[in-house]
Amino acid sequence: MSIVDIEGLTFSFSRKEAPVIKDFSLSVGKGELVGILGQSGSGKSTLLRLISGLETPLSGTISIAGTTVVSNHVFIQPENRGVGMVFQDYALFPHMTVKENILFGLSKMPRKDRKQRVDEMLELVQMEKFEKRFPHELSGGQQQRIALARALAPKPKVLLMDEPFSNLDADLKESIREELFNILRKADMTCIMVTHDRNDVEAACDYSIVMGQADVKNHISPKKFQSIK
Amino acid sequence: MNLAKLFKPLIVGTALTITLAGCGSNQGDPKGDESAAQPKTTENQEVNIYTARHYEADDELYKNFTEETGIKVNVVKGKAEELIERLKREGESTQADLFVTVDGGVLANAKQNDILQPVTSDVINENVPENLRDVDNQWVGLATRARIIAYSKDRVSPDELSTYEDLTSEKWNGKLLVRSSTSLYNQSLLASFIELNGEEQAQEWAEGIVNNFARQPDGGDRDQAAAIAAGTGDVAIMNTYYVGLLANSEDPEELKVADSIDVFFPNQETTGTHVNISGIGLTKHSKNKENAVKLIEYVTSVEAQELLSAANYEFPVNPEAAMPELLESWGDFKMQELNFDTLGEHNKKAIEIFNQTGWK
Amino acid sequence: MKTQLIRRNMKKEFNGWWIISLVGAVVILLPILFIFSSIFQEANENWLHIRQYLLKNYVANTIILVVLTGIFTALLGVTLAWIIAAYDFPLKRFFRWGLLLPLSIPTFIAAYTYRTMLGYTGVVQSTLRNQFDYQINSEWLRVSGISGAVFIFTLFLFPYVYLITRAFLESQSTAYIENARLLGRKPLAVFYKVVLPLSRPAIVGGIILVIYEVLGDYGVTSYLGIHTISTAIFQTWFGMYDVNSAMRLAAWLMVIIVGIFFLERLLRQGRRYHLSSKSRPLVPVKLKGIAGIAAFVYCGIVFLLGFLIPFIQLLFWAKMTFVKVWDSTFITLVYQTVFVAVISTIMILVISVVVANVSRSHSSFSFILSKIVTSGYSIPGPIIAIGVLAIFISLDHWLAPVYSKLGLGEAPLILSLSLIMLIVGYFIRFMATGFNAIEVGFEKTGKKYSEASRMLGIGMTKTFFKVDLPLIKGSLISGFILTFVEICKELPLALLLRPFNFETLATKTYQYANDEQIYEASISSLLIIVISILSVVILQMIGKKVKK
Repeated sequence: MSIVDIEGLTFSFSRKEAPVIKDFSLSVGKGELVGILGQSGSGKSTLLRLISGLETPLSGTISIAGTTVVSNHVFIQPENRGVGMVFQDYALFPHMTVKENILFGLSKMPRKDRKQRVDEMLELVQMEKFEKRFPHELSGGQQQRIALARALAPKPKVLLMDEPFSNLDADLKESIREELFNILRKADMTCIMVTHDRNDVEAACDYSIVMGQADVKNHISPKKFQSIK
Repeated sequence: MNLAKLFKPLIVGTALTITLAGCGSNQGDPKGDESAAQPKTTENQEVNIYTARHYEADDELYKNFTEETGIKVNVVKGKAEELIERLKREGESTQADLFVTVDGGVLANAKQNDILQPVTSDVINENVPENLRDVDNQWVGLATRARIIAYSKDRVSPDELSTYEDLTSEKWNGKLLVRSSTSLYNQSLLASFIELNGEEQAQEWAEGIVNNFARQPDGGDRDQAAAIAAGTGDVAIMNTYYVGLLANSEDPEELKVADSIDVFFPNQETTGTHVNISGIGLTKHSKNKENAVKLIEYVTSVEAQELLSAANYEFPVNPEAAMPELLESWGDFKMQELNFDTLGEHNKKAIEIFNQTGWK
Repeated sequence: MKTQLIRRNMKKEFNGWWIISLVGAVVILLPILFIFSSIFQEANENWLHIRQYLLKNYVANTIILVVLTGIFTALLGVTLAWIIAAYDFPLKRFFRWGLLLPLSIPTFIAAYTYRTMLGYTGVVQSTLRNQFDYQINSEWLRVSGISGAVFIFTLFLFPYVYLITRAFLESQSTAYIENARLLGRKPLAVFYKVVLPLSRPAIVGGIILVIYEVLGDYGVTSYLGIHTISTAIFQTWFGMYDVNSAMRLAAWLMVIIVGIFFLERLLRQGRRYHLSSKSRPLVPVKLKGIAGIAAFVYCGIVFLLGFLIPFIQLLFWAKMTFVKVWDSTFITLVYQTVFVAVISTIMILVISVVVANVSRSHSSFSFILSKIVTSGYSIPGPIIAIGVLAIFISLDHWLAPVYSKLGLGEAPLILSLSLIMLIVGYFIRFMATGFNAIEVGFEKTGKKYSEASRMLGIGMTKTFFKVDLPLIKGSLISGFILTFVEICKELPLALLLRPFNFETLATKTYQYANDEQIYEASISSLLIIVISILSVVILQMIGKKVKK
């Protein structure tokens, strides 16, 4: 069963400009981890923003878990799509503690279950001792784990990650990356990750897509990917 | 689309606006905080005044009136033109009972705009001579100021002065001071000339004055007096009221200015000196008519008139009232005799003449 | 297909936020459109008279005033900004802040203070006369006419140019200036070749603010006897009782304003530099010897003239008249001034926040929306007053049946006699002040936090209260204080739109001054100045706390 279905997606920043994404299609199955590669300006971040509802396509259809979230006559607001996102610079609310950040997305959950869910998430990312800290009191890697916990807490149907490792030191990156993918596997999370670093994709993705020329659509398995390289 | 979601911010916004508007309109009740009680129940104990005179002396009078009669006085201050405009707009719903302002032209204007009604009271008729009341009794004089010629004691002898018209003669070339034509005092002065001497002569007069300017019109009446003291000019057209203010200033420098000038009442042999009259009128839709009339009776009484004259250096309208020494020292003078309505009628023409002659 | 898309997009955007924004825009736009509609009505006799004898003079005076003030404020503002930003000298830290103080003195108060002070009976001439037995020609010192107005406007409005330019130089220009210095250029050359061209958009921005102030001025010009279009609007309205001609004049003024708007575009966009946003603060160079003293003296003189001297003079007059003038009504005045300013400011900020939040989507529609909402700042008070008044009276007529049902009598004027009218006037005039502050706040925080919130399943409204609002708290406070101070100082709107028993400190001051009781006006003037300064001090204090 596919969780995310994209059909004929076209997007342009303004009417005057040529589309950044043109007639793009993609299908992601349950529990799959898909990497999206491409140079800057190739529209890979935009793709995530289209899926999440932060941008609106010119045409095309996106469905999440069988529900059409955007088409020519439908638009579901981002907060109602059941999509989680880890932002490039994490976007942890600076005026809230770690705990409050994670609690933030749990408002629809019964009050008594919330605390438990926060603890679960903190345990998952191994940050139990940090719940009272503010984001600026955390290191980059810690911030990233909290961002992940926050995104996973409301149990999204799909997790989107925008360059999750770009703000990390190179020597940290590898261990954190491994850790992250372990967490995702444990949570059986469907995930789409945007990156400019091939190593990220090679490390864990089930398959990857290279965005570039707008009309090229690629489905490449990791093995095939390696052969291209 | 979820309706609740759609309207949530809207409802919050509207609620806020309504709350604010509530406070606002409450505050805006024309009778203000002091008369928080409902108007209906206190109908017999209050009177509302719209006044363009903002003097402590007037406030004093109203206070005394309240002490004497128990009738509360609510005062709203504004510029005369604004107040007239407001009264017009308020129409029947106005809260004002009385309208008070300086200058016959404005009073005539109020009358023209149909916001006043006649007052009949023997007491008032006795207090105020007929020539200081409106011909239709729509307003009653409160005090007057004469628009005189102030001259330098050092450089001008009073023998050289005679009439307003004489100020246009060659000998005052470059020596005459007067304020801008935007001043109502000047507009009414010219309007009176239009009435008394005709449009053509009034225009010639204005041209002659402009020719004799010591400098472009600048500042108020006090500034003209100071300019005489400074030697910028020798004679100035100004109001006795300001001479009184200068002579009683707390600033020693202004006292010196007052000392260096003297006043001359022009046109004593001819048409008489122009006066600015302050007047009080009953509004057309007054709700407290009886109290309003009582107040007019009070402010024109000897007691009130003496107080006003002493504090404000204005000539009393009640002939029985005593004047302060300074005013007394100027002696009696002959006033212009004209129907004040004409000042209003000619106001527009006067402004036109000013603009045409380049009297700034 | 296309209509389908439009419908989808409308549905997507359409929510309570948009409705409030649109209502705000309509409130602002209606009075302005009303003014323009007057052009299409037939001209009356008065207008012919005005056109024949006066209009040319009005327009000429207005333009001369604007041009001269613009040049002089630019000279003063830019040089001070450069000295303060680039150099270190005795008392520099004090001047950096102190040179903003002239803004706390409303220009019309400055005008009558200076005029009286320099007049024949004023302290300058009387001291010369009495102590030194020297009578200077009092015409030389007379503050009047266009030269007097330019003097006052320059001295008390230059901080707009100074503030914006200084902020730009301190934060944005470091790399370029340091490079120029390293390349061996002399300070003067650095100033002319690098600083001036780079900071042109900032300078132009400051000058435009000054110009708007001058165009809308009524207090200074009427006091100093200059006929500009703004004073003429008052005179035709109240002197000739001719609203129609007043509106025609207003429309003329709008033509000038539109001209200036395009001039600004031209001046700013002709050369727009993309400056790096990440920049180190400029490190000031220490001035030694004569140069340091010169800088100190220059700043000192401007500070003395623009603040300390008039302030002390007012204190002196206040002492002289205190016993005579002071009574409890001043407390009421302070209360009323603060009351109406706080309410208007809150309204402005509420709508600003809503519109700024909506505008974050950066669609062309939201761009137009933000332009409309901020347009009031460029429109002089008297014009806004006429428009608002006209709208409210027709609103009252329209609501008459409702009033009579509520038992308020036949055809009463409820809205147009209430404080709401003045508040709406302020709302239109000062929306830009609040909006710009909020917009800066949103720009600084960016969209990522609210996007993150929405990705966590929280809707726009809740996101706003839980995430956006706490994050822009600093901007909210500075927007509040700036708007509040502007409203406390405002004169023409208060003069024209206030309900009857309602006086603000500014109108009271004006009344005294208009009646030639300058000394008596000093207490209310001082109260305005003190309120302004206190507000700014509070802003500084809160600002420091928020930063911590």
